[in-house]
Amino acid sequence: MKRHAPAAFESTASSFSLLALTAPVAMGYIPLGMVFGFLFVQAGAHWSLAVLSSLLVYAGAAQYMMIPMIAAGLPVGTIALATLIVNSRHIFYGLSLLNRFPKNGWLRWYLVFALTDETYSVLTTLPKSTSDKQMALLALLNHSWWVLGSTCGAIIGAQAQLALAGLDFVLAALFAVLTVEQWRTRKSAAPLWVALAAYALAYPLAGKHALVISIVLSIAAAMLWQPKRAIAGGVDHD
Amino acid sequence: MTDARYIVGVIAAMALITLALRALPFIAAQWLQKNTIVERLGEFLPLAIMTLLLLHSAAGSAQQDRLGPWPELLAVVMVIVLQWRSRNALLSIVLGTTAYVVMRNLTPG
Repeated sequence: MKRHAPAAFESTASSFSLLALTAPVAMGYIPLGMVFGFLFVQAGAHWSLAVLSSLLVYAGAAQYMMIPMIAAGLPVGTIALATLIVNSRHIFYGLSLLNRFPKNGWLRWYLVFALTDETYSVLTTLPKSTSDKQMALLALLNHSWWVLGSTCGAIIGAQAQLALAGLDFVLAALFAVLTVEQWRTRKSAAPLWVALAAYALAYPLAGKHALVISIVLSIAAAMLWQPKRAIAGGVDHD
Repeated sequence: MTDARYIVGVIAAMALITLALRALPFIAAQWLQKNTIVERLGEFLPLAIMTLLLLHSAAGSAQQDRLGPWPELLAVVMVIVLQWRSRNALLSIVLGTTAYVVMRNLTPG
């Protein structure tokens, strides 16, 4: 590509790459949103509340978790506490994006609101030159897939047959792809080994809560971790 | 029929808590940015957390699977190899998920 490519051409090229990045998220969010909408309506709620939930909460794992809790009529405070535990990992997502986000205004706060697992991982793989508007557009597209899927699932799901068993594996496949891409851009293998060890430790002990526990273990390991350059450079100075 | 006001209350509480968690590093940015530990976390956590999300979602599928964890393991390896070679996320996800759905639905019993 020439240096002096017209701005219009450049923005066309980058919107293509935005589509390439949002497509796998759509592949995960639309079917998973449909399953959420379907199950939410099955639990006895009006379809519009499934849409409202996906618009405002916009957190897949927590929204799945809320279905049996609402069906059981648990107190709002209990569900709020469970949300706090399940979504506590989101605190750490912003850390690696602090300098990348727009400084002020609606775009910044929309991106903060829309910082899901998938949007986070896609944003961290974007080139540094990506504009604020492009980042917000990517987040908005991802949000739209989730709301679209939830709406479809809630409206038609009640009449349709349940999806094929195992279709929700699409989420695991999405995380596998994103792990490969994170692996490509990292210099150290330590985070991968730490994550594997932490999960192997947490899963037999905690089952469904293994994610939160292994994230806490990984954070602890990250704080003790010394990047390679420090080891190679300094010979026992401290 | 579940009470709509109750559900709206649950949605509002969940939305506020999730937003607060996502906003925390940005609100406390000035303090957090001076912190070398925070910087280290930002460097270390993306790959670690993505790996954990992969493990947790695959483990979730394996729990509902009579043959688990073998179909999950096979499909995850398939996605990783495909993505490593092709860099085509859509291809890797579609083929991996299709293979998994076939394994789950065509096994006898």
